[in-house]
Amino acid sequence: MKELFIDLLGKPMGIVIFQLLEATQFTIYLSLIAFIGGGIIGAFITLMRISGKPPLIRVATSYIWCFQSVPLLMLLFLSGLGVPRLLGQDVNPWVSATVSLTLYSSAYLAEVWRGAIQAVPKGQWEGGYSVGMRFFPVLRAIILPQALRLALAPTVGFSVQIIKGTSLAYIIGFNDLMNLGRRWANTPVDGTEPFVIYPLMALIYFCLCFPLSRLAIYFEKRLGTYSKGPQVATA
Amino acid sequence: MFELRFFEIYRNGDYLLRLAEGIWLSISLTVGAAIIGFIVAGILAAVRNAKVPVAAQISAAYVEFIRNTPLIVQLFFVAFGLPLLFGYSWPFWAHALLGLTLNFSAYFAEILRSGLQSISKGQIEAAIALGLKPLQRFRKVIIPQVIASVYPSLTSQFIFLFLTTGVISEIGVEDLTHAGVFIDSRTFRSFEIFITLTLLYVAIALLFKFCMLAIDRHYFAWKDR
Repeated sequence: MKELFIDLLGKPMGIVIFQLLEATQFTIYLSLIAFIGGGIIGAFITLMRISGKPPLIRVATSYIWCFQSVPLLMLLFLSGLGVPRLLGQDVNPWVSATVSLTLYSSAYLAEVWRGAIQAVPKGQWEGGYSVGMRFFPVLRAIILPQALRLALAPTVGFSVQIIKGTSLAYIIGFNDLMNLGRRWANTPVDGTEPFVIYPLMALIYFCLCFPLSRLAIYFEKRLGTYSKGPQVATA
Repeated sequence: MFELRFFEIYRNGDYLLRLAEGIWLSISLTVGAAIIGFIVAGILAAVRNAKVPVAAQISAAYVEFIRNTPLIVQLFFVAFGLPLLFGYSWPFWAHALLGLTLNFSAYFAEILRSGLQSISKGQIEAAIALGLKPLQRFRKVIIPQVIASVYPSLTSQFIFLFLTTGVISEIGVEDLTHAGVFIDSRTFRSFEIFITLTLLYVAIALLFKFCMLAIDRHYFAWKDR
């Protein structure tokens, strides 16, 4: 595989592009883990948020507020440097990166899903209760099928933010596309100058993110979304 | 098992001064980039909305490209790639300002564009019926309504973007994050300093939010949302 790239693109370029693509898999893995982990925690937070019990709602809203207001960079610094030094032991970059990205995405996903569920008219809940259903059956059989439609577009849209967010994980020593590209850009080899490497990396990130953005817009047009104003996106 | 020693940071005048300077630089660069970015975004959105042949496509491609790539890659390209390519050398903060402006303008352009689309045709037709010239129409009828309708999304977008500006420390700008990393490297009290930084960032974000809300109440009170 590597030889093919070298044959096609010549000596420095072939190796660089092969290695960048190889490192991209870790960006994808980290994004997937963060998305799934964030989704699981986010689902619990959403449940607490819509449960209707004041203490649970308060916990959920403060959780969402807290991790939406804290910069991702600070979460990474805290989990990658702060907590390990506090506990006096090393933490694997995978663990710190996963933890911070999961916390980050759980808060946003919870907020997105809360919006989608609350956009379903209240009469739907009341209708379910009036035929003698409990909270979870109503949620599963009546509310979620309707909320899912509305949540799909912003959820897919947010996955773009997660992929872009993983680019910060190099700060705590995570070996992904960003880290490898940065090392190549600092290498004094002809053909790997910063103005070659960084556009190349941007292109790889673009190829990951752009289809997802398009998909989000497609879902939004096809299924609709709950927010009326323009979507706010994190960089 | 572990101890928190915040006082190691708070008792040192040099560290506090660094933090204060970092706050100042972070705020001024973000606000500067937001203002320039807003103007650029206005042009991008107007060009796209008016469907100017080639410029509209360029504007769309630019917005999509910036929105679908990480800020840090853009910053590294602006700070290390462009100067090498064109042989100029600027201070760190100028690179950061340029990078942030490029980034902000794309996000703002997308919001402004949806604001422009949301203006009902009747408004423009009424302006024509009143005999307003194109430029007057734009200035007196379209702009006030667009700004008022996108103001909430614009401000929350601005605050989200502010929270990502910490990465400019990676290209050498001595912003708030840079001050924190410096203090961390001196004291090794990582947890304490990054908690401090987090609280400072949140506090600044809240301050921004408060200012924006005040502006909203003052200038856009006529608009019921």
